[in-house]
Amino acid sequence: MNKPLMKEMHTFGEQETSNQSSPSKKPTPPKPQNAITIAVSSRALFNMDREQDIYEQQGMEDYLKYQIQHEIEPFAPGPAFPFIKAVEAVNIRLRELYPDSEELFDVVLMTSNHAHVGLRLINSINHYQLFIERFCMTGGNSLIGYLKAYHANLYLSADSMKVREAIEEGIAAATVFSPGKITCCELSETQLRVAFDGDAVLFSDESEIIYKAHGLDKFYEHEKAHENKPLDHGPLKGFLEALGKLQQKFYAKGQRLDCPIRTYLVTARSAASSGTRALKTLRSWGLETDEALFLAGAPKGPMLEKIRPHIFFDDQMFHVKGAAELGTVAAHVPYGIAQKSQSKTARDVKKDMPE
Amino acid sequence: MDDEKNCTGPLIIALQYNDLFDLDSMSASTNTDDALPKGRAVTFIKAVQIVNERLVEQKETESLLFEVILIAKECSEEIKMKIVESVKYYGLEIGKFFFCKKEELINTLQSNKVKLFLSTDRDDVCEALHTGIPAALLYDQCDDHVLKVIISGDSIGFTEDSLDSLSDFGFSETQIETFKAAKICMKEFAVLIGQMRRRFGRENSPLCICVLTAWGSTNVCASALKTLRGWGLDVDEAFCLAGAPCSPILAVVKPHILWDCGLHNMRDLATQS
Repeated sequence: MNKPLMKEMHTFGEQETSNQSSPSKKPTPPKPQNAITIAVSSRALFNMDREQDIYEQQGMEDYLKYQIQHEIEPFAPGPAFPFIKAVEAVNIRLRELYPDSEELFDVVLMTSNHAHVGLRLINSINHYQLFIERFCMTGGNSLIGYLKAYHANLYLSADSMKVREAIEEGIAAATVFSPGKITCCELSETQLRVAFDGDAVLFSDESEIIYKAHGLDKFYEHEKAHENKPLDHGPLKGFLEALGKLQQKFYAKGQRLDCPIRTYLVTARSAASSGTRALKTLRSWGLETDEALFLAGAPKGPMLEKIRPHIFFDDQMFHVKGAAELGTVAAHVPYGIAQKSQSKTARDVKKDMPE
Repeated sequence: MDDEKNCTGPLIIALQYNDLFDLDSMSASTNTDDALPKGRAVTFIKAVQIVNERLVEQKETESLLFEVILIAKECSEEIKMKIVESVKYYGLEIGKFFFCKKEELINTLQSNKVKLFLSTDRDDVCEALHTGIPAALLYDQCDDHVLKVIISGDSIGFTEDSLDSLSDFGFSETQIETFKAAKICMKEFAVLIGQMRRRFGRENSPLCICVLTAWGSTNVCASALKTLRGWGLDVDEAFCLAGAPCSPILAVVKPHILWDCGLHNMRDLATQS
């Protein structure tokens, strides 16, 4: 494909709506296979609670009618909004340092909404000056094929069923929940902070299976005994890896201290025993997190409140809820043994709700 | 809106016989008594027939139906017979057959008030567009339950002036003219297909309309959606690629009808199976 053509082609539409003499031309989005693609659903990016109510109580026709009637009203930000804003901030820094590189984040709006909602979504994106140039509005069809077509490195959605489907297809995905308290203003605008649980998120659930079957003590014993055997990887290992690659680009330009990406491991493992295996596993993969917090079973909420990540990934709803209650944007990764005994989520999504 | 008044059906779609039947796969050993092997357009016609059935189910006297006519250029008498027989054999509802010379193609299309000329041959599509005949690519679809139409968001969303300056970015004069020609031609088809689409509800529709914006920004796409809405066409699905390769997306959407408009600039586009 003749790339130089396409690069400039894209900025075309902007000239129609923006000032011709304006110096700030929007840059071209990178090719999907080069970029770190984050696919976000409309309900993760924006708050559509009222619209969801209308859909559930009155059905599709009224829902669409409402959306069209309110087309010029931008949506309020949703749970993934601060994360996306922070991602864009990283891109700005990356472009400054590496103007010709395509190793950037690329945010794609991936929604099963009908194109009728398209104008309201585009208006909302413009309102917040989000740099989202790609979208798929599938009118109710499955998103999986499109996620794969875009080489999505991460899929964030408010719909747990869609997330489950994606995980089953090998796509890193998580269900985003709104924090209990409003904390958007307290999150860093210059540093993207991502926190990960260890087992069944970065790592496989093999050790959790032992914990569930034999209890905590056995778990600690087992982990100590196998400390030098790397764990198998979990669904979000690839995303941590992608973040690490971008971090390296900053380090290469002498910006280690000022790096706009910071990663955290927040695990129930204990530093004294089971934590070592986690760290050694990461090391064996050539990966690391900037901070590793071993809580030895203590609740994660308070620690996360201190860290203030833009997003926190965990496979257990108990931790997700705990984090959300204390103001963290928490995302549930429906993977592994923990899913067999999950209690129902607070707000079950109606089947086929456009999202 | 009074649908009765606006309806000027039938919606005539023209196909060429070499898209309907796969003549290349015929070998010397093929039994001459057999029907011609099926080509890509057969699935398309089946999908069209389902739309027609559903339209008639809703209203027996519906006049806005699809009508497919078949054009065959330069055929021997023998092939002509085989074509007619094979159409019957596969149960394809073909309204009319036109056997003509190569240079008569455009005339045939024009004189029959064809609302859409479908072909797998990009050159034929371009030639038709340049003479003002709405034309689109018959794509590599495989679904015969839902008829999927992709309309070019670039063609509709970009203004005339923006289209002109496309030459700065490598598009040839001819290619730009194709964009512009498509922009004009598309309207009548869009209006008709829009009316047809409104006969069905949001869900379980046998007809699905998509907008694909391959290069334009989200604002270009928004402009296209608004324009189409103004023409009475409510779009079901929308895709904005901002320069990303379109084959992977098309492989998921699997359209029957694809308004090309320069997508052939992207060499990864696969229309030949």
